[in-house]
Order: sequence, then C-alpha cells, then structure tokens
Amino acid sequence: MSRKIDERIPNTVGKGTYPDYPAVATPWGKLISYQEAARHSQRNIAVYSAALMQVYRILIPTYEERAELICRFSYDRMYATFSSPIGKMVGIDNNNVHPFMAGSFPGSLNGDSGDEALYMPGRVNDFGTYRCEKELDACPWDIIGTELCRATTTSLMGVSDGEAVHKKAGPRLDFHMVEARGAGDMHCRIVAENREKYPMPEHKMWESMGPIATSDMIKYTPEEDMVTDPQYFREESGYKFCNGTCAEYDAASWYRPNGSAGGAGYFWPLFDMLVKKGRINEEDLDRAVHCVMEAAGKAQFGGWYAVEGVRSWLGVPAEMKDGRVMGGFLEVYLACQGVPVEVEAFNKDEVILRIDRAALDQRMPKQSPAYVAYWYGMTKTLVSAEYALWEEPEGDAEKVLRVKIAKKIDKFC
Amino acid sequence: MYNKNVYKYDEMKRKEHMAVRESVGWYYWTHQLLEVSGADAAAFLDRLYACPVGNLRVGRERYTTMLNEEAEIIDDVVIFRIEEEKFWVSTLFLKKLVRWMDAHREGFEVSYEDVTPKFDMYAVQGPRSKDLVNRLVETPVDDLKFFSFAENKVDGVPVVVNRAGFSGEKLGYEIYIAPEKGEMLEEKLGKEAEALGGAQVTDFQVMAWTLPTEKGFYYMRDLMHTNPLEVGLDKGIGWEKEFIGKEALLKIKEKGIRNIMVGFTMEEADVRINGKDLGGPGTPVLKDGEEVGRVSKCNYSYVLDKVIGYIYAKAGTVSEGDVVTIRGAEANICGTVFVP
Repeated sequence: MSRKIDERIPNTVGKGTYPDYPAVATPWGKLISYQEAARHSQRNIAVYSAALMQVYRILIPTYEERAELICRFSYDRMYATFSSPIGKMVGIDNNNVHPFMAGSFPGSLNGDSGDEALYMPGRVNDFGTYRCEKELDACPWDIIGTELCRATTTSLMGVSDGEAVHKKAGPRLDFHMVEARGAGDMHCRIVAENREKYPMPEHKMWESMGPIATSDMIKYTPEEDMVTDPQYFREESGYKFCNGTCAEYDAASWYRPNGSAGGAGYFWPLFDMLVKKGRINEEDLDRAVHCVMEAAGKAQFGGWYAVEGVRSWLGVPAEMKDGRVMGGFLEVYLACQGVPVEVEAFNKDEVILRIDRAALDQRMPKQSPAYVAYWYGMTKTLVSAEYALWEEPEGDAEKVLRVKIAKKIDKFC
Repeated sequence: MYNKNVYKYDEMKRKEHMAVRESVGWYYWTHQLLEVSGADAAAFLDRLYACPVGNLRVGRERYTTMLNEEAEIIDDVVIFRIEEEKFWVSTLFLKKLVRWMDAHREGFEVSYEDVTPKFDMYAVQGPRSKDLVNRLVETPVDDLKFFSFAENKVDGVPVVVNRAGFSGEKLGYEIYIAPEKGEMLEEKLGKEAEALGGAQVTDFQVMAWTLPTEKGFYYMRDLMHTNPLEVGLDKGIGWEKEFIGKEALLKIKEKGIRNIMVGFTMEEADVRINGKDLGGPGTPVLKDGEEVGRVSKCNYSYVLDKVIGYIYAKAGTVSEGDVVTIRGAEANICGTVFVP
C-alpha cells in the first residue's frame, strides 16, 4: 500500500476572487472550484475564438494573406500599446524588469506571466540578452488555428519591441513559435534569437514558426515531466507564480486576465481594421459571425451525452427541462469568465439575465451580438428547439445586455 | 539533438566573462536608487534592515538583507551613507520597497525619493579595473577602499566612483553618472578597455548570473522565501539592535534551520535543468531516489569549465562531497563559492 498523498489544491487557492469561498456556485448549489472555473473559462474562450477563426477564414480565404494580416496587425497593436506608458506599468513594473536589462529580451517576461495567467503552464528554458526560450505543456487555445499561434508570437515580439522603447537600447530579438500545440506538436515553444548573433535568412512577418538557428539548444521536456496546471495551482511552487525577477502572484490576483476577450481579442480589432480599409464588408462580416456562432452554439450540445454531462456538472434537477437549464449554464459560464451578471427572472416560463456589457465586450462591441447568436444556438440543443435566447433591451442597453430565454415560435429562424 | 548547453559553447559569453576575470570588463549596470533622508533616516533603516546602518561612516556602504516579520528575505540591498542624514538604497525592487517603507515609517522623521532617473551606473570589474578607471577620472582612485565611494570627474563631468561590484572580483568599481552623459562615458570605457585587453560585457546572463555565481553571490531570486541563516547571510546581522524579523530569526536560530543553500558542480553539460532563476519551482534534486531539494540556479563556470549552481535543500539531507542526481545527471555537492 502506498502512503503517498498526491498533490492537492487547497480550497483557499483563489481566496478573495469570490466572497466567502473561492468557487462559483451554480443555481442548484454545486460549487465549481476556482481552479476548474479558471480552466473552464480559458477553454470556453478558446472554443468561441475557434469559431471566430472560421469567420476569418471565410472572409479571407488564403492562408498566407490571413496569417500575414493577423501577424502584422497583432505586432503593430502590441508595439503601440507597450511603447506607450502602459508598457512601463504593465510590462516593466509588473514583471520587475531590472533597469540594467537593455534591449528587447525582458519583454519575453510578459509572455511568461501571460501564459501562466491564461492557463498555459510550462517553463522558461533560457532567458538572456541574445536568446530566450519558453516551453508550454498545455494550451487551451490549441484548437483555434495556427494563424493565431503565429500571431501570438508576433504579438509578443510587438510587446518586447514596444517595451524596449522605455529601456536602454540593446539587442533586438526575433521571436518564433517553433513548435505549437495548435499545429499538433506536444509543446508550444517560442524561441527568440538575436539575428546579429544568430543569423538567419529574412522572413515575412507571418513566417513566425521558424526555422531558427539554435534548435540544438532547445530543452525538450518529455511527457512524464510535463505539467497540467499553472504555478499558482501547484504545490511545488507554493501555489504562487514567480518569475526569475521575483515578480510573484497568487491565483486570486491572476483572475483579471481571464476576462472574456482571450483569443477573440485578436480578431475583433482586426475585423474592424479590415472593414475600415475596405478589405472586407461589414455586412458580410456580421452575417458570417451570426451564422458561424449560431452553428457553433448548436454544435456544443448536439449529442445527448453533452446535455447530460453539463446537467450533471451543474446539478440540474432531473425533472427540469426548461429555459432555466440554459440560464443556469450561462450564469456559471459568465461567472467563470469574471463577467458580472444579475438574475432578473428565473422560472419555468422565462429566464432573464442582465449581463454587464462592458465586461463582456472588453471594448469590442461586436462581441455581444456574437455571443447572443452563440448562446441562441446552445439553447436550441441544450434545452430544446421550442426555446430561444434573444436580446430584449430595456432603457440601459448601453450598459446591460439583457437576454431572455423562453419558448418562442419563429418561422424564419 | 537537444539540450546543448547555452553557456559552454558560447564564445561570446566566454569572452565577456573571461575579460572580467583576466583583465577588465565594463557594463551598463544601473540599479534603482532610493534616497532616504531626515533626522531619523539612520534609525529608520536600522529598523528595516538586518545589518546595522547607523554605524556606517559617510562615504561608506554596506550590503544587507531586508526581512519580513517571518524572517524571510524580501530584498537584499547595498546602503550608501551619502551624508550624516542622507542615504542611498540600491535595489532592484524599488516599488515594493517604497510600499514596505510606507507601511513602517510611522514615528520616524524620514523622507525618501526615487533618484534612479538621475543616475546611470556602469560597472568596471576585473584585475585591471583600477587602471581603466584611472585612465578616465581626474582624481586617481588608488586609495579608494572596498565598499567606499567618492565624488570624481570624467572629462569635467561629475561622477561618483564606488569601489564595489557584483562580479566577485577583488578590484571592481561602479561609476554613477548623469544619464545624458552616459554615451560619453561608454565611448571612453570602450576605447580604454580595448587598450587594456578588456571588453564590454553585454549579456545579462554573464553580468547577473555567471560572474556572481562563480564567486558565491546571490541573485534575489535565490533568496526569496529563505532566511539569512539558511543561506549564510547571517554574518554581520545586528543582533544587538531591533529590526523587523529579528524575533522570528532568533526562534529559527534556536530551533535550527529547515533548509540550506548548497552549491553543486556537474561534469555533464548538455542537461535539461531549470533553476528558479528562470522562474518557477526549480528542477527537483534527488538523493538515493528521494527529493532533497530544488535547483535554485544553474549556469556555468568559465573558469572551471563546468556546470555550477545552487540547490535549496532540506537541512541535513546533503553535505559537501555527496553525489545527487538532477534530471538523471550526477552532481557533486559543494560550497556556494566556486572560484575563491
């Protein structure tokens, strides 16, 4: 008999995120632990973002153009943000970047802390002026599409180049995601190299998956040593994330990044830019979003097993088969994502939820209609085709997304 | 092939490192500076830091740890006495330090100001560092004692020359200068260093990791969640004065430490080891199949030409001469100073 006690996550992890107990309570009294909520949130966002990727693929059919557009745009956005005073606060202060660290390499610390916050656990394998390497063992975004894997890489390069503006000039690094779980690899691996020290041929922005000059320096973690949770959920880390420059955060303080943008945050501003430049048409965009999101929502609970699974997870009473099932699911879904929601009605005839629009939109106003289409689709399969979910605004629609779930006959749905 | 050592085969790092050991190396080494002033400045710093500050003479400086109430090290700094009632605290965690001071300043007549933007700092380290500095300054630094500093001039520009450093070299200096004059100083340093067979150190890993580790110096990441007794930084503690964390530290002293920092060397170079200096919990260290500690840092000695590092181990589990295993490779336990 083994007397080994497996590593456990104490029920105090995440304390302060939710009152009383670090967990999300379902309407039927089940507690979803902070850890599960964080994981669930990240995967939910990834699924939603994967649907948005399909919108992007419909609108921009060729891979190279699509990848180049999103990579360039992500780089430019992050460069603009991190070269502004925000970069000093978010990048340098929060990561404890030291004054003598010259060049762009300290920017990679943003990738390290950001990965952990987004439930992408792994490890830094190298951190120097001329080379950095980060390896991830898990990535909730690994279903979104490789265009995004590439864009997250150029985005980090934009962060690093932007942050470098606040620092003493020094060597610049070229970032590559040489392995990507989104491409089928076991790890995600970003290697950043200085091209003066490690020369390689010039490449287009979207060609951000290598090759690199230092592949023999890669530290490859085998499956048996891989981790599944971020440092702040691991006993060996004292339930805290800590980087090499002593920036230390616990689980509760990391909840904010788990908002509702995630991977989707790469798409909406890009769509906006493409509409403004005339590369895509806004009507086509809105129609594609509506169609894809509705279908994606319906696909979530197409099989009875999916319905049974989520009912069991939430603790829905066996006899309950009305709009409350979707209402309860949505409450939990939003609570996990840290989006405030108030319940206005919750009975067998109707459920009305008042959702904080700003928290849901994250300054991307097309998110609300996309989510409504998505949740509408879910309602059709999680509850039944007799039910629908729609927005029924009142006077405060700018601040509140008021959604109703009830039976509805619509001959044109 | 994976796991090629990022230090051993890197001739650029080796050259920069060995310039410091054999001749002279110079590098941009600006730290954050907090100027602490007031009638109670010395008493205030004595309360915050483990080593005595009040008995420092003007023009001298001291290394000390700062502890929390549980006696955990929360910063390690060098404190300069600029005037009788004015000090500089050189740190890398200024925002955290200011929050800590704010929380403990009640009853002290003291003020503090971040003067980091006023000074860039350049390290000049190595056996020929004095020659290099003397080629630049108006007043020779021959009489400057270790851990003392004095005003000087370079090309008519006021500077402060401090005899100290983080390379472990017996001879080493730090030059504080207004940032707008940094370019002028860099140009002179580059030219004169070359004439002496020296070089500029450009890699963070050399200035912050390989040079200090050889000589047994800690980077703050090594010290997090440790106490001075565990890591051998109890020498010089002002036991006769009151300071935050003293009570807890005395209890630990009485009961005995639970962990200890030790050094290790490793012949195998192409290994997959992550120290805490890279972030995270550090690679486990095994002895007879049982985990005895975690790797705190792992880099390379260019003088010994082998992998070196620190292990934060459970007290009593390892001692010098023991052989442990890290990711399947054998490591020899030793002290934390590799190149005396």
